[in-house]
Amino acid sequence: MNSLLLHFCEWLQNTPWALAISGSTWAYPYVQLIHFTGLSLWVGTSVAVDLRLLGVGRKRAVAGPSTEAAALSDALFVWNWFGLLIAVTGGFMLFATAASTFIVNPAFRLKVGVLLPLALIVHIVIQRKARAWDQAAERPLVARIAGLGEILFWLAIATAAASIPYFEHT
Amino acid sequence: MRFCEWLEHTALITAITNSLVMATIVEVLHYFSLFLLVGPILIVDLRLMGLAARRRNAAELAGELFPLMWTGMALNFLTGFLLFAGDATTFYGNHVFHFKLAVILVAVIFSVVVQRNARRWGQLPAVPIQGRLLAFVSLALWIGSILAAVEVPSLTSVG
Repeated sequence: MNSLLLHFCEWLQNTPWALAISGSTWAYPYVQLIHFTGLSLWVGTSVAVDLRLLGVGRKRAVAGPSTEAAALSDALFVWNWFGLLIAVTGGFMLFATAASTFIVNPAFRLKVGVLLPLALIVHIVIQRKARAWDQAAERPLVARIAGLGEILFWLAIATAAASIPYFEHT
Repeated sequence: MRFCEWLEHTALITAITNSLVMATIVEVLHYFSLFLLVGPILIVDLRLMGLAARRRNAAELAGELFPLMWTGMALNFLTGFLLFAGDATTFYGNHVFHFKLAVILVAVIFSVVVQRNARRWGQLPAVPIQGRLLAFVSLALWIGSILAAVEVPSLTSVG
């Protein structure tokens, strides 16, 4: 374990604001609220586009606004990324309350160190390629893989998050 | 109360409670479906308030996002019921949990009202003030339902 990282985590969880959150009887739920509200915006808007890529809920085979992924992605773009910003802010605050225990937790490290960056890469690819994928005569296979992939990544991230308590060492 | 005791001991519920894998799957789907439920309705509410996706017609956006919201809600309520059932006798008497369900009920009612009126509001040059107000209340209720949900473990150490 990188001792510099560990020292940073110990410093972080002892900052006045981190101590205030972990020491407070009422603050923690509000931090969770920030994290989950942000995630609702981020995951909700991302999956809405992913389902378009997968052709879910398509009533007509004809291309149009109901089948366009890029148009929906563009419309939701600002709140999609703002949602992630809110989620990361809440997540960072949650992390800070017990940083040195989270940083050595394998479920946490998988979630934030591996799955999250990969999910973001898939997300950015989707946002960049959506227009080209819409313009193809038929939805390309890679578009469907990307759409399904993003959904699976976020299910995996949520699973890793739910598993964190089970990997806590003393 | 006796129904709750019975529920906790049904084969399906005890199978979930005794299997870490199954319990985790139910929990993960409960959270994931929450995002699919709340995210789209927040966006629709924000759009009606003129704060999101302004280039998109409000009625059209609502038509695109509401199916995802209702699907998320169905999955969320199903997984929520399974989570409740695993500890039914405890949840049954839990006042914070009651409050959570009450907030969700009111939030759902407001969402139905929003959905029913979205088409009409979308056809007007601007969303009328009562529409913006309803959207704001809907948004506040759904965020409130998340807050009520996280307060259950925080205030009562359950779940």
